[in-house]
Parts: sequence; C-alpha cells; structure tokens
Amino acid sequence: MNKIDARGLSCPAPVLETKAAVENRHPRHLEVLVDNEPARQNVVRFLESQGYRTHVDQEGALYTVVGTGGDSVPGPKPVETASGDAGKKIMVMVAADRMGSGDDLLGAKLMINFIKTLKEMGDELWRLVFVNSGVKLTIDGAGTLEDLKGLEEGGLTLLVCGTCLDHFDLLEKKRVGQTTNMLDIVTAMQLADKVINI
Amino acid sequence: MCGLDFPTDPNVLVGLSRADDAGVYKISDDLALIQTVDFFTPVVDDPYWFGQIAAANALSDVYAMGGEPKTAMNLVSFPLKRMDLSVLREVIQGGIDKVREAGVVLLGGHSVEDDELKYGLSVTGFIHPNRILTKQGLNVGDRLVLTKPLGTGIVNTAIKGNLASGEITRKVTAIMAALNRTAATVMREYPVHACTDITGFGLIGHLAEMMQGTGLGLKIILEKLPIIDVALGFAAMGMVPGGTHKNRSFRAHMVDMDEGVDPAMQDIIFDPQTSGGLCIAVAPTSAEGLVDHLQSEGVEHAAIIGEVVDYPAGIIQVV
Repeated sequence: MNKIDARGLSCPAPVLETKAAVENRHPRHLEVLVDNEPARQNVVRFLESQGYRTHVDQEGALYTVVGTGGDSVPGPKPVETASGDAGKKIMVMVAADRMGSGDDLLGAKLMINFIKTLKEMGDELWRLVFVNSGVKLTIDGAGTLEDLKGLEEGGLTLLVCGTCLDHFDLLEKKRVGQTTNMLDIVTAMQLADKVINI
Repeated sequence: MCGLDFPTDPNVLVGLSRADDAGVYKISDDLALIQTVDFFTPVVDDPYWFGQIAAANALSDVYAMGGEPKTAMNLVSFPLKRMDLSVLREVIQGGIDKVREAGVVLLGGHSVEDDELKYGLSVTGFIHPNRILTKQGLNVGDRLVLTKPLGTGIVNTAIKGNLASGEITRKVTAIMAALNRTAATVMREYPVHACTDITGFGLIGHLAEMMQGTGLGLKIILEKLPIIDVALGFAAMGMVPGGTHKNRSFRAHMVDMDEGVDPAMQDIIFDPQTSGGLCIAVAPTSAEGLVDHLQSEGVEHAAIIGEVVDYPAGIIQVV
C-alpha cells in the first residue's frame, strides 16, 4: 500500500510529494492524505494527468485521494497527450532537414512530402523526434511546419532536440513540438516498439 | 497596519494612507522623489538570475508609478555558515547588471546573517509631481493593457517539481528578469490614467486594488490574456502554488466568472507573479496605439486584456 501523508502541507508540497512517489515507485494504487481543498484539487489533477483514476473520501477537513490504475511511463510527462495505447508504438527519428543524399534540392522536397505522408501511419505513429539539422523542419518558414502542426494538433508528441536548436541558434524560432533532451530521446527509444531513422 | 500613528508631512504625495506601489515625496514644484523597497527568497536556482529578478522586481515599483529610478541600495540576508560566499557574489552581480541596464547607480547596501538567503533593493527614483501614476484614476471606457505574460507562479512550481525543460526554465527566467522600463517609457507618451505592476496578488488581486473605491467595474477577456504557453498545461497537472488559492479565496467574491471556465485558466488569473508586467489603464482611443508601440519596442507580449465599465460596480467580470 502506497500512502502519502501530506497533512499540514500547503501547495505545492502535496502535489510534489505525490509526483515523487509516482515517479519512484510507479504504484498501481496509492492514497494521499491532505487536509485542505486546494491540495485535494491539485493532487487529483496531477494523478489524472498521469493516467490514474481517482476518487476522494472526505472526513471533515481530511481528504483521502485514492488513485488507481496508474500507467505512467518513467520520467516526467509535461504537457503531453496520451497516445499510442493501442497497437505498436512507432518512433520516427528525423536527423536531417532533407531526405537521403545526392541532390539537396530533391532531398528537401522529399522531406516535405515525407512529413506530409507520415499521418498515414495512423495511431501507431507515437513519437516524432528531430535532431541535428532535422530541427530546422520545426522553425518559422519551414515548408514542413503546417503539416507538423497538424500532426501535433492530432495528438502526436513531437520532440525537438534543444542542444541542436541551440547549436543552430534557433531556440526562439521553433514553432512546433516540445524542446527535449537526450534522456527523453533515449527513454522514448527504449519505450518504442519500432524506431525508424530518417 | 491599522491603529498605528504614522507621522505626516504636506509634501507626502503618495504615502501610507492609500497603499500604492511606492511612496512619493515632493521636493519642489517640478520634482518628487519615489521610494520603494522589496526583497525576497530565491525564486530560481541560479543565484545570478535570482539577483537579476530581485532587482527587476524592486525597480518595477518605480516604473509602475511612471517614474525613473536613479539610485539603489542592496539588502542582503545571507546564511554564511552553510552557503559559500561565491553564491552571494553571483546574486549581487546579477543585481548590479540589472541595475546598470536600468541606468541606475548602486550607492551601497546592508547585509545581515540569516537562516536563508534573501535579496532585494531599495530604489529611489524621480518623477514630476503632476505626472505621478497611481493605482487610482480609472475612467469608464479605459482599456487595460498588460505588458508581461501570466503564469510565472505556476511555471516556477513546475520547475520545482522537475517538470519543466531547460528551455522553459530559461524562458520564464527571462520573463521575470525583464525590466518594466521600456513599458514605463512608452506609456509616458499616452493618456494613461492609472498603472500598477502585477506581482504576488495575481492579476485579479492587483486589478481589484485598481478598482477599489472607484465605483466602477472591470471586464477581463480571457482569450486576450498573454499567458506563458506551458502554464495552462502545468496548472492542469496540479502544479499550482499555494498563493494562487489564497489569492482566489481573498478576491473570489469580487469576480463574476462562468463556472465552466477551465480550472487551469482560473488558476492563471489568480496566480501570484514574480516581477510581473505593468497593468496600464489607458484612454480607449489610444489603447491599440499603445500596444503597437510597446510591441515595436520589444514588449512583445503586451495586449489589451479588458476595459473599465460603469456597471456592475465593484465586480470584475471575466468572460
């Protein structure tokens, strides 16, 4: 039984303690004791954002928030939509701003077409990751931007390498996707059923 | 501070009798002194940036009065026994750099040993006695212009919870460390009736102070609010600081908001801000010009967020 006693704590301490427990132990079931309404609200929100079902038992000013069925992946999941529960999880890693080598102009056209066509993978497309010059596909003025935005709006998680953006001095110009680090990329590779490198 | 007897002086133009962002003391018919002091515990891990933010925050009160800061003094509490002095050096370097950016000179300061690090400044500025901008002075029809995006309290909570990427941390740090100087300079050219800076009481708390005693009401348009984009997502995950709830319970009775409004959005309007932007009440016909001017000078998030209405009085309608 995972129990967190967060009585006497004010926000954001209860939700941060809950987060630590979820990350360290990935419990299927946990109970969080809080003694104020804001803490109750925030712990419920956090658990639900991590895929738990919740209910609250109240006794006077004491609330027990019960979370069950957590399916959280290791590591934080900031602001992202759950996806890919069904079927395979395909991660596509784009490491260049053009497709293939030979003719760069052709390569750039092919890349635009590739991104446009990616949606045909359907729900199995789980992560789209951009590294090295691939990050240039996510910036202002890129021919791929509108299609990438469409994919993101459809619930796909796009990860864009922060080190790479920084290297090309494009941090401010990125218009789509979450900036990410190597740990997130490696974790995504590990969780994916299939990784396609472009 | 009810019941305490404070000394008075006819030259006090803005004092304790109606709490404002800073006090103003008249020296001559064309010069008045603005004085303010502010300090707090670290809001970010990086000591240099903490210094910058604390300085930007202290300077902001002078900008909110329409004035120009001139001199500053450091205020430091430092836990000598458990923190290396190099940390303090970084903090003060941040403060110096920010003060220099503001064209302000540092004249000295005072430090004491304490259990935790605190830093801030007392700031003195100049203003013409006829050009003082207080929180009072709203006119019906005035548009409200906000100059920085909301959500720093929520994003800082997410940073504490290791949920924010380095890029998000850098972005919110830069927002907090940004001076309100450009906004204050630009607004001098417009028919501004009242101004304050948005800090610990959150947007609604500071709007309530502007509205109080005017017999007028306010209307805020949620979709116009500049918001740090990730803040809504973090709020939806429960990354909400305690101050948000305190602000809400203190002012909820003055707010008329549809219950169906996204709870995360409700948190944004009560979220305590660190070194937030200016909220400027400007004549309606000048509002768009002011915002365009602010944006062209680099105050990129400036937006018209609402207006002053005559009915219902004493209520902030949030639509």
